[in-house]
Amino acid sequence: MAVESDIALRILTALGNYLKRDPKIIRPDHRLRDDLGLDSMATIELLYQIEEAFDLQIPDQDLQKLISVGDVIGYVEGRLRPSSPARATGLAAKRLPAKKKG
Amino acid sequence: MKNRGVITGLGVVSPIGIGVGQFWKAALEGRSGITAIRSFDPFPMETYRSRIAGQVTDFNPSQYLEAVHAERVDRYAQFALTAVKEAMADAGLRMEEETPHRVGVIVGAGVGGLLMGERELTTLYRNQKPHRVHPNLIPMVTLNSASGIVAVAHGAKGPNLTISTACSSSAHAIGQALTCIRTGQADVVITAGADACMTPLVFAGFCSLRALSTGFNNDPARASRPFDRARDGFVMGEGAGALILESLAHARRRKARMYAEVAGYAATSEAYHMVIPREDGVDVAATMSLALRDAKLLPAQVDYINAHATSTPIGDAVEVGAIRRLFKSRAERVSVNATKSMVGHTLGAAGAIGAIVCALALDTGLVHPTVNYEDPDPDCALPGIARETRKRPLKVALLNAFGFGSNNAAVVLKKFVR
Repeated sequence: MAVESDIALRILTALGNYLKRDPKIIRPDHRLRDDLGLDSMATIELLYQIEEAFDLQIPDQDLQKLISVGDVIGYVEGRLRPSSPARATGLAAKRLPAKKKG
Repeated sequence: MKNRGVITGLGVVSPIGIGVGQFWKAALEGRSGITAIRSFDPFPMETYRSRIAGQVTDFNPSQYLEAVHAERVDRYAQFALTAVKEAMADAGLRMEEETPHRVGVIVGAGVGGLLMGERELTTLYRNQKPHRVHPNLIPMVTLNSASGIVAVAHGAKGPNLTISTACSSSAHAIGQALTCIRTGQADVVITAGADACMTPLVFAGFCSLRALSTGFNNDPARASRPFDRARDGFVMGEGAGALILESLAHARRRKARMYAEVAGYAATSEAYHMVIPREDGVDVAATMSLALRDAKLLPAQVDYINAHATSTPIGDAVEVGAIRRLFKSRAERVSVNATKSMVGHTLGAAGAIGAIVCALALDTGLVHPTVNYEDPDPDCALPGIARETRKRPLKVALLNAFGFGSNNAAVVLKKFVR
């Protein structure tokens, strides 16, 4: 993964801003939950900012695939690449990171 | 000795029927009330991730209510008024024979009257004429508009309260009504829960929270599927439930029919997270345990649980985990169902509608099905969850309700025994 890609840099910066940490210490192999400590709500807030930054809509079904920082970068790159399938969704999605009571 | 509280009247407005008769028949048949949302004018539904809801169709307030009351309040309070009117008639409670100060009203509402709030806000920003804001805006959006109008409509001058704890609002309303009866503050408490927040803004907010089902937009009846492996979020619902709770002495004096006794109640906070439940379910188990202790009953005596079960991936698993933790071997035998599988999540009305189901189950011995429970998730599967109506000798029922803000409620109902 090209960490130095523009998309990757923007995502790392967004993550750094969100976590109030230096983006340089965030690596693609960091897992959002287990390494960076983002709970499901924090992940949703982060993706909300990424949707805004890249003018994207991320379907709920895709959330479960976004485990690591690299997953997020790869996902956004894939969505922005003109030739690629616009989205990959599926009802196989079982464990969404979204966990709500209510 | 504390006064005992009994349920003597029921009323409901729901996506599967207006009126208890229609509602209960549909529930026993396992009919889904989830349908596609036509539009949030002017926004096409394609702009929303979730496009379905448990909607109360063909509700015409003038059919049920006097214009002087109906026109003063938002849709959610019209639902509450309608459900209360039915419950009062069902209880045979005649206000002219009651001491008005001994009749209270407690209503649970999670979101309240935002339909008009959003409309007025939009108009204000579009037209930029503050002096054209409707004079009735404030009384309509104030969260106690339903409890207020119910008192006005029936001349109930006792304690008048609104409980707003999101999705557990009306379970707490019932618990607080019980407290009112036990402490002698009132002989009768008109108890209700209501919400109607299918508005462009609120619905979009729930979509952004990624709390709603989005995978069944083309197959609405299958979207709300508590405990099933393919569940992917809750389905928004709207409606109201009303219960007349009165002291046993008062009910006996007027020879009222008693559906059930409200025997115990517990309220707790997980003090954990605004929208995420604790995954170990410890606090949910503690809440159920406290409610049973309040009712002087043991877990082994519970026959039926009306689960909170909203059809979210984690919520349902946490609740079943808590049931297993507290009930141990009894968890293999207790009947469990999810009313939300048919009506969706009616938020502030959910506790009241669940309590109505508990009262009817105790009264008839019938446990309605959990629809769309097709492929039981091992994390949620219990032998007592069924796809069809089951007849059971029921003596004790437990109602669960959990809300945003780390909030839990449990209410214990039991068959009334002299």
